[in-house]
Amino acid sequence: MNSNMMKNNKNFNKVSNIIESLTINPSPDSVAVLEEIGTNSTIDEVRELTSRALVRRNEFESLSVVIENRGKGINDMSTVVAMSTINELLSLENKEEAMRVLENTISSEHFDDEVKENARSVKALMALS
Amino acid sequence: MSTIERLNQFSHRIFNTSQNEQSTSRTSNPFAASNFQKNILTEDVFESSKAKQNDKVSFTGNLTASSKRIYSTFVGSINDMGSKFYEGIESIKAIYGRVKDSVINTWNKIQEIGNKEVNVNINLDGARELLTKEYHIKDIASAIVGGKNREITRMSKMDPHSEVKPMFQQALEALEADMVMVA
Repeated sequence: MNSNMMKNNKNFNKVSNIIESLTINPSPDSVAVLEEIGTNSTIDEVRELTSRALVRRNEFESLSVVIENRGKGINDMSTVVAMSTINELLSLENKEEAMRVLENTISSEHFDDEVKENARSVKALMALS
Repeated sequence: MSTIERLNQFSHRIFNTSQNEQSTSRTSNPFAASNFQKNILTEDVFESSKAKQNDKVSFTGNLTASSKRIYSTFVGSINDMGSKFYEGIESIKAIYGRVKDSVINTWNKIQEIGNKEVNVNINLDGARELLTKEYHIKDIASAIVGGKNREITRMSKMDPHSEVKPMFQQALEALEADMVMVA
């Protein structure tokens, strides 16, 4: 299914609305739902929407999901999802929380080298932007 | 003198004017070229043509009979051109008449439309209807966007785990099923 067909799909629009509602839902449980259902979806477009929603929440927990986890957000196997997440991070008005998560990821010993490397690259991009 | 002889003389006078011109060809007096029996203007009152003798173009000297016929044909064609010119003028007049009528008709129509717009508001109903339709389309679009926003706002007030999560799973399963169908 191409992107145009996806955008015209009723169920995709419903999924999109749910993700959008979880973006503005003040409950911290929203992040857990987005991570559990959205980021684990087999559909690239859903993972992309979920990652962007987690970035837009601009909270330590939500940003940690897309920065620290292997195979999610900036570390997603899909280039489109990873790049879309990075773009969303770069377009944040307040980047303080994102920088804090990135620095934490780079300095921590708990994460893979690949995750650290990605975090370092994104931090460099954010510093330049 | 018979008619044939007169015609021959006439023809001779037409096509052999150079004999009379030879006496006056030394001047640039244009009247000198006329076939006057006696030269009225004996003096060269104009610029002397002697200096320009080499550059002078003679239209009458050394012309063969066939050339003269060709020239006479050319002159005849000028007469035809005249008649064609008048025909052209007639056609131009006709075109002008048609253009004038067209312009007048267009002007009348413009005035008619203008008067209708200014004087009769009922005639603007079509435009008004069109504008209203446009507003209807805008209303529909804003209603769709508004409906979507209302739905998102409503869901954002739900409990994520107990309410939103099941909906999310259900919608995602339906979407995956759609994708399988398309594939």
